[in-house]
Parts: sequence; structure tokens; C-alpha cells
Amino acid sequence: MIIEISHFLSILSTGLFFLVGSFSLSTSNTPYTSNLISRTYSHAFLFLLSSFLIYIWLAITDNFSVQYIANHSNSALPIFYKISSIWSAHEGSMFLWIFFLALWGFIFNINIKNTEVLKPKTIGVISLIIVGFLLFLLITSNPFITILPIAPLNGADINPVLQDPALAIHPPTLYLGYVGFVIPFACSLAFLINGDPSAKWEQLVNKWSVSAWVFLTVGITLGSWWAYYELGWGGYWFWDPVENVALMPWLAATAFLHSLSVSIKSSQLRTWTILLSITVFSLSLFGAFIVRSGIIDSVHSFANDPQRGLYLLAFIAVIIAASLSLFILRFSLIKPSGNIKTFSKQSFISINNIFFGTLIFSVMLGVVYPLIYEYLYDQKISVGAPFYNAIFIPIVILASLFLFFSVDSKWSRSINFKIFTKPIVLSLIFSVIITFAIHFVFKTNNVAILLSIFVGLLVIIRYLIEVSISLIFKKYLNPFSAIAHFALGLLLVSISFNSLLSTERALNIKINEFEEYKDLTIYFKDIRVRKGSNFDAVKAEFNIKDKNGNSFDLSPEKRRYFTRGQITTETAIHVSPLKDIYLTIGDQLEDGSWIVNVQINFLIRWIWFSACLMAFAGIVLVSTNRKSNI
Amino acid sequence: MKIILKLIILILPASFILMFFLLLTEDDSIIGADYRQFALPQFNLEELDGSSFITSSDLGDTYIINVWASWCITCRVEHPYLMSLNKKGIPVIGLNYKDEENDALEWLSKFGNPYKKIIHDYKGTLALDLGVTGAPETFLVNNGKIIAHYQGEINESIWSQVFIPVIKEKELF
Repeated sequence: MIIEISHFLSILSTGLFFLVGSFSLSTSNTPYTSNLISRTYSHAFLFLLSSFLIYIWLAITDNFSVQYIANHSNSALPIFYKISSIWSAHEGSMFLWIFFLALWGFIFNINIKNTEVLKPKTIGVISLIIVGFLLFLLITSNPFITILPIAPLNGADINPVLQDPALAIHPPTLYLGYVGFVIPFACSLAFLINGDPSAKWEQLVNKWSVSAWVFLTVGITLGSWWAYYELGWGGYWFWDPVENVALMPWLAATAFLHSLSVSIKSSQLRTWTILLSITVFSLSLFGAFIVRSGIIDSVHSFANDPQRGLYLLAFIAVIIAASLSLFILRFSLIKPSGNIKTFSKQSFISINNIFFGTLIFSVMLGVVYPLIYEYLYDQKISVGAPFYNAIFIPIVILASLFLFFSVDSKWSRSINFKIFTKPIVLSLIFSVIITFAIHFVFKTNNVAILLSIFVGLLVIIRYLIEVSISLIFKKYLNPFSAIAHFALGLLLVSISFNSLLSTERALNIKINEFEEYKDLTIYFKDIRVRKGSNFDAVKAEFNIKDKNGNSFDLSPEKRRYFTRGQITTETAIHVSPLKDIYLTIGDQLEDGSWIVNVQINFLIRWIWFSACLMAFAGIVLVSTNRKSNI
Repeated sequence: MKIILKLIILILPASFILMFFLLLTEDDSIIGADYRQFALPQFNLEELDGSSFITSSDLGDTYIINVWASWCITCRVEHPYLMSLNKKGIPVIGLNYKDEENDALEWLSKFGNPYKKIIHDYKGTLALDLGVTGAPETFLVNNGKIIAHYQGEINESIWSQVFIPVIKEKELF
């Protein structure tokens, strides 16, 4: 009964959102209509909110008459996982996705004054997008379907790999990032529809875009961390198609934020900024499409259903076609004011746009090329790390070099560009010395890694100098830019060291035997069967000693969950500031020995730390009142 | 803006969308499925518990042969589905492949036995004749003829896509 109320409320909100959308796009602005649109949107949102809260309540109270809850939750689960079970499969996660979409619109609605010219149309565009997705939910993937008259006594269980705190928060964070870019997207469309070139949509969306970017950054980082310790993938990035569809919006969003800062300062690069705002949101939708159409097999993909895929594809096609046609029709509106001066900040950022555009296109190619190939030749190929490394390494190195030289540049001024200023020379000297030291200490001739470390150090040192100057001479320094770019340098150095030093080996060990690997002595103490509440596990116990006399125990596991028969690996990781020692167990061989995979991962925590630092930079920008720029 | 640039901006996303449309509406054939028909090879092998010898004539008209082993992890994943097939009354014959008898029996007592009969193919001779490349593999046999074959784990979706069409066509079970 209660589920029908929830169902009805979401249908009701669909109708109201449709009214808001069609009304706001078909009327001209008056104070009266603006007020009406804003209020009706809030009401529609309240209906959706109630519907969603009821749904959560039903999940918490184990209402297994709801088919979705019966299939994905279980009365034995802690409350936390009962709630997170809602986004453990397609229907519920789509519901959450839409709820977040409406939530961003709602927060925008109550924060922006009704007198803002672009607000009614922005709310209208957001509403229509919500309607499209709500219809998708209700027609093709309804989470409100019930099993009546006889409901099962207990639910099926949540997918075991999702029974993990990081995973309970990874999807919501990522979704908040994805759908957050609806604000700049809708605002840029509102700007094009309104047709008044003096309207400043760029200022309006700055903080909103940075907030969405922060969520996206954190979401991707959480996913990377989770794959490392829960899925037992043993690394931080795998160029998995679904990682890539999250990376593309992130790259586009990063380029968008840069471009946006230029457009705010000097109303240049406005074409880029609008195109990028459309690109970011389209790529976010594309991500939803890839994951939900079942077109790619991956840990992330939900059940394969071509009908869903076709609906989503058609809807995305409508959104992209409408926004691009509007962009082309109103192109005369966005005349840039004056040329971009050489060596001004604008010039560096427009080059940056081209770098990012190339990266996005390459990732897109890597995702779709295997699909095209399979379609045409009926053979599977995989595009893996070598392809992406070949493209990313040179472009990121070049882009970072440009970043290094751009620190001295000024807005709108063609400064007499001096290559030999003190900070530049100082950073160059330090970076060269350290890079050579690394070359000799670690005996490596890998040019790609040494170059990456070199440019990473350049950026780090250059920004350290900049920060010291600003502290000593009380000179203004944009904190967002400084922290985020410093984090980029750190990320480059960490990734380089990680790929330079990390090693792994599959060892065969018998119980009570020792095995040496690098400077570690691994002793296989015991293996036993352990019964969990909903799984059987084989738990191995190892004692590991390193050269410095440190000794610690690690116990990796293999679990088999009853309800789904799924087998998962539980990794055991010894964490220290500079390196992780990472153990997983495989199968037992015929001679009684076990396959044990040992990895030594250097600086892997630093990679995630750098990503978090970038997100932190965004938080700093959003929480300061100063109208900062990137 | 030049017309060409406008066209590129429109055509690029349009071509992506068209491509995904083609991909989605494509009739995808399942990798690992094989519908070539050939006669079930002659064999005379021990049953798993060593009680007697089995030949193809002991197995009935229509049945499933499932290649498995206690060392095979995917077989364990597949196992609950075989149990449900057995419950539905579909005769499943196990072909225990390159496995120790004790390990296999222990495995069955731990997880349950979905098999009507189990052929112990310790040396993998029958498996070789069947063209088995690894465990698990599943064959559908009718009147001494193999009429469908799947390499890899079978589950509800594979069963309904690979085996059900053949079963319906021949009106088996």
C-alpha cells in the first residue's frame, strides 16, 4: 500500500515537472511567471523527495512486497546496507540519479533570486530533463513493482562486492558529480534561448560547476580505491570502459572550468565554454547510457536490456541535437570581444582546451573502437593501457610544461615573456637535479617516467615558490589554482614512482613454508575454512618480515556467498606511508601449494591523496566568498 | 562560423548516436555457443564412485552432459544453476574431468549433487573426443547425437538463449 503512495508521488512529480518545463520555455519572463515557476518546481521536488524518502523507509523496514527491495536487500543486513541496497542495481540507482538531478535543481532554485534573468529558463530545461528520465524510470525500469498477494519472507541479498562502506558512498558521490553539471548545461541553454548577449551565465554557474567537479573527483577516487582493495584489482586505474566513461566527463569538466574562468574574466572563449558545458553533460549522460544499456560488459554494467538502451539513446540524442542546434542558431550571439593576446593567461587556457579535447577524443575512441570492430568483424579486441599511455603521457607532459610557464602569465596582457625569471630558473635547476638523482639511484632509463617526474617536480616546485612569495610579500594568490595544480604535480610524481617501483609476483607456497620475494620473507602459517553470516571463506594466514626486521601478519581471504554463489577475493594490505604490501590468494594447486599474489605498490596512497587534494582545492574555492578564478 | 565547422559539430555526435543505435539493435550471437551436430563418441568409463562402468547406452535418450572438476572455480559458480536444472527434472550427467575421486566426492558432499550419473574421466579421454577445451562445458545430447554445446559457465540467461531454442525446436524433455 505504502509503495503505491510512493509510486503515485513520483508520477505526480513527473506531471508537475513537465508543467514547469513546458510553461517556462513557452512564456516570457515576468516577475509573476518567475515566481510561479520557482514555486511549482519546489513543489514538484517535494513530491519526488517524499516518494524517495518513502522508498528508503520501505527498504529499512524490509518491505519485501516490493520486488526490487526483495531482490536486492535482506533482513539480515545492517540498516546502512539496507539503504545502500537501493543503489545496488539498475532501477534503484536510476531513481537515486534522478533524485539527485532534481536536488541540484532545487538547491539552485532556492539559492538564486527570482529576479535573475536566466533562472526561469534554466529551471525549465532542468525540469524537462528530469521528466525524460522519470519517464524512462517509470516505463522501462520501474522500481515500484510489487510481488503480491504473497510477498517473500526474506530478500535475496545485496551483491556481496557492494557490502562495503566505500561502495555504499561511491555511486552517490559519482552521481552527484555527473548530474551536477546539469546546472551549467541548463544555464548555457537558457542563455542561448534568451538571446541576450549581455546576460552573464558564466558568473552564475561558476561555483555550481566547481561543486559538481569536486563530487566527480571524489567519486572517481573512491571508485579507484574500492577496486584496489575490494575487487582485488591491485592497482589504481585500469582503463576499464566504465572507468573511462567517468574520466571523460571529468576531463571535459576540468577543461570547462578553465574555459569558464576566461569567459568570466574577459568574455573570451565563450564559444568554447558553451560547447564544453554541453559536452560535459552529454558525456555524463553517455556514461549513464553505457552502464545501463549493457553494451559493455564490466563490473559496473547492470542487466542487459536493449529496450532501456534504446530509450536512453533516443533521449540523449534529443538533448544533444536540441542543444547543438540551438548553439548553431544562436552562434552570432557569442561574439568574442577582441583577439586573445599571445602569452596572456587566455592564450594558455585556450591551448589547454585543445589538449583536453584531444584526451577526451582519445578516450572516446578507446571506448568505442572495440565496439565498432566487434560489430564489423565479429571479433573481440581490447584497447588497453598501452594505447592510453601512448596518448596520455606525451600530452600530459606537454600540458604540464605549458602550465609551468603559464604561472607567470597575466590576464589579457601580452607580457614580455621572459623564460629566465628567478622562480623558473630555480624550479628548473631543482627539478633537473632531483630527476638526475632519481635516474642514478633507481638506475632507470625509462624516458617517459623520468620526464613525467621532471615536469611533476617543475609544477610542484614552481607552485611552492609561488606560495612562499605570496606568504612573504602578502601577494594575492588564487588558492584554488595553486592547490589544484600543486596536486596535479604530486599526482604525476606519484604515478611515475608507482609505475617505476611497483612489482608483483605470483608465488606458490605450501603451508609452513617460507618464500622470499624482494626484501620480504613470506611465511605461510595456516589456512582454514571460516564461516561468515552469509558466506564460506578460506582464510590464509601469512607472516611477513622485511629486511629492517619489521614483522606483520596478513590474512587474505576467498569468500563464496551462499545466496548468489559468487566468489570474491578479500585482499590483505599492509599500509605504510611509502608503500603497500598487497596479498591475495588464488587457487590450490595439485601438489598442495597455494597461489599467492604479492604486490608491492609504491606511493599508491599518494595518488589518491593528490586526487583528494584537487577536490579540496575545489572546496576551498566554493567556500570562499571572493570571486575567484582558476 | 563556417558551414563546415557547423556540420562537424552536428555530424560527430550524430554518427556516434547512429553507431550506438546499430550496436544496440544488433542480433548478438553468444560466444561459446556451438550448434554443430555430431555423434556422441563411444566410451566405457567408470562411474565416479567406482561401482560400475558406464557406456552411452546407460544414459537415456535426452540429457545434458556437464564437464566439471573440483579444482574448477567456475564450476562452483555454475553449481547452483545445475542444482536447479536437476530440480526441474532435466537429467544432468556429470563428466568429472581430470579430477581425484576423493576430491570430487568431497566437493559433491559439500555443495550437493545435481548429477544423475557421473562419469569419471580421470585421463580426459572422453573429454578429448568431445573436443572439450576446459571446464565447465555443457553438451545437449539427443538420441546419441550432440545437438548443442556451450563453453563456459551456464546460467539462466545462457540456458534460455543457447539451449531453450534447440529444446523447443525438437520438443525435448
